[in-house]
Amino acid sequence: MASDLLSIGRSGALAARVALDVTAQNIANASSEGYVRRSVRLAEVSSSGGIGTIGDVSLSGVRLDRVVRNADLFRQAEVRRTGADAARADAEVAGLENTEVAVEQSGVFNAMVKFEGSLQQLVGDPTSSSLRANVIEDARTMVGTFNIASNALDSVGTGLRFEASDGVSQANTLAQELARVNLRLARAADSTSDQTALLDQRDSLLQQLSAFVDVSTVISPADGTVEVRLGGTAGEKLVSGGSATTLGMTTATNGTITFDVAGVAVAPSGGSLAGKAQALIKLADVHTKLDQIADAMASAVNAAQAAGAALSGAAGQPMFGGNTGTGFTAASLTLSLTDGAGIAAAAAGSPVNSRDASNLNALRGALATSDPTGRMDGLLFDISGTVAGRKVTRDALQTIAGNARVSLAAQAGVDLDGEAANLIRFQQAFQASGKVMQTAKDMFDTLLAIR
Amino acid sequence: MTTISTSTSAFYERSTMDMAALRAEAEKLQGSLSSGQRLSRSSDDPVGASRMRQLSRADSLSTIDTANASRAAGDLQLTDGALSTFAEYVIRVKELATQAANGALTDAQRAGIGQEISAIRDNVIQLANARDMAGGALFGGQSAGDAYSILPGGAAQYDGTSTAPDLPLGDGQTVSPALTGPQFLNFSVNGTPTDLMAAMKAMGDALQAGGAAAQTAAQTGIGAMNQGLDAITTAQTVVGSRLAWLDLTAERRTDLSEMRSTEENDVGGTDIASTVARLQQTMTVLEASQASFTKLASLSLFNLLN
Repeated sequence: MASDLLSIGRSGALAARVALDVTAQNIANASSEGYVRRSVRLAEVSSSGGIGTIGDVSLSGVRLDRVVRNADLFRQAEVRRTGADAARADAEVAGLENTEVAVEQSGVFNAMVKFEGSLQQLVGDPTSSSLRANVIEDARTMVGTFNIASNALDSVGTGLRFEASDGVSQANTLAQELARVNLRLARAADSTSDQTALLDQRDSLLQQLSAFVDVSTVISPADGTVEVRLGGTAGEKLVSGGSATTLGMTTATNGTITFDVAGVAVAPSGGSLAGKAQALIKLADVHTKLDQIADAMASAVNAAQAAGAALSGAAGQPMFGGNTGTGFTAASLTLSLTDGAGIAAAAAGSPVNSRDASNLNALRGALATSDPTGRMDGLLFDISGTVAGRKVTRDALQTIAGNARVSLAAQAGVDLDGEAANLIRFQQAFQASGKVMQTAKDMFDTLLAIR
Repeated sequence: MTTISTSTSAFYERSTMDMAALRAEAEKLQGSLSSGQRLSRSSDDPVGASRMRQLSRADSLSTIDTANASRAAGDLQLTDGALSTFAEYVIRVKELATQAANGALTDAQRAGIGQEISAIRDNVIQLANARDMAGGALFGGQSAGDAYSILPGGAAQYDGTSTAPDLPLGDGQTVSPALTGPQFLNFSVNGTPTDLMAAMKAMGDALQAGGAAAQTAAQTGIGAMNQGLDAITTAQTVVGSRLAWLDLTAERRTDLSEMRSTEENDVGGTDIASTVARLQQTMTVLEASQASFTKLASLSLFNLLN
């Protein structure tokens, strides 16, 4: 008989204490971000009989086998993947919405319509100085709105690039943090509370990192260290063991951005950085189109001005300035004709104060043909259509990401009712173990009482 | 949400997501009710927003068409009035010519008639130089100055352009708001082209000169005045039909404007009844989910364990 009732009771009480501690830890961390529910796994301590003691009862109580972390690697990976997609779509939609607002709220379209209207009104009385002044003022407003739209687009781009560069530095911080966690994980003893806390930290860092870029991870089964790659499973290593490589960002002349890991180009397909890069590509496209529209408008008007005669009978001078050499841009556009008398409404060679409006009609015809106003409408439709489409995608991706999060939380999160039941159960186990020790004492007393 | 879970944080996260979505939906409906606009930005409905932009562009241009049309109508009415006066002058000259053609009249009487005709001719020239609503020559086409000037010999000369300008009325329609002088003052007598002023001057001069030629000139003058009256009456018909055309286009513009307003309302306006109903529905669901959330959240095993 190698068993010892007192030590069995003691081990049981200890195990119940540990289980109660873990339960209390679970309750305390019920709403901690990234906390994964722990549970204890207990194992029986017994020895089989040795030589000459076969058939002996040899019981030694219970021991704590390990603290189990109830994390599902697949669900965690899903949360990261869907979270990266949702963050990408969210960043892209935010950038596109700002682009939409920049062009729409600047009022370019309305100003172009007004300018067209004032030209049409001038046909009714080509020599009227008030109608001519009206054309000049409407042209001034139009130039102003083009400038505003261009500035607004530029500041949207600046904002996006600033956020992206901030995102890159945060991603680098997270990568370095992950490398440090990897180092400590490699040294931590198995299944200690130190290791579980580090694993929690590792998963939380990975989840934060995936909000910036989509990462593919390989987790070492031996020590729980993680290897992080960007751009797919064969991509560049961002974190490997205890070392992190720097993620870099380069801005092109048209304002679009590209990323690299230690000089090797990578193209993230998820995460807010990818979303901002996509929004910047669309922004550059919109800006180019806005410049083309400004160029179409200014070139048509200036060409017509050159072909006609002003009120004084002299050849018409250009109405718009700011030709950059390759054409007008929305930012460079200026109003160079400030006197309404300079509008070349009459055909070339007309006498002073001619009421001829044929050149004005030719200008209106040219504007109707190249239709910059219609193209502006098309540009607005293009942006708003893109925003509307991306919003649908974003909402879908957010629902998917939300589901993945809930599904992980359901599996890894703390259920307070369950913990309440555990408290009772382990408290009773503790009390029972105490009773065992009491029994051992009583038995000892019984033996001592023999006289 | 199809996940069945017992985790506390999952329960809270799920409830928060659902209630936030309902709240956002309710706020969007409330926004469209309070603004009266279904679209707060283009991306809410890109096609609808583009249609709204086209409609507002058409509206804005149509306002200018209306202004142009009323300017044209004003000029045409001025033209019409002037033509009536021209006709009265021609009829008066014709009466005088008829008197002068009478052989019983003395040279002195004919000279008196001739002076009256010359005076009427001066009025005709002044009337031909009348101004339109914008202050330009009404019958001078696109000329900057007067339509007619008097040469040193006393003859009237047309200085205007050959055509009157066209005013756009929208949808590619145009109208010419005035006539040029030669369009109704020029005619031909026995195949010889002449104009009203020249015919009056010839008759007035001949009557004042007296002699046998005076009576012949008066007889020729009657024929010329008949031709002149014909030309003026024809011009009045043209002006009348142009005014009718303006009325027609005005009606069409009003119809189109009504259609545009209706469409703007359909595309961009809020359907109050259905929006209120949807808001009510959303609010009911939100209230129910809040109530059930409160009930479930207060259900904890800790409360029952003593």
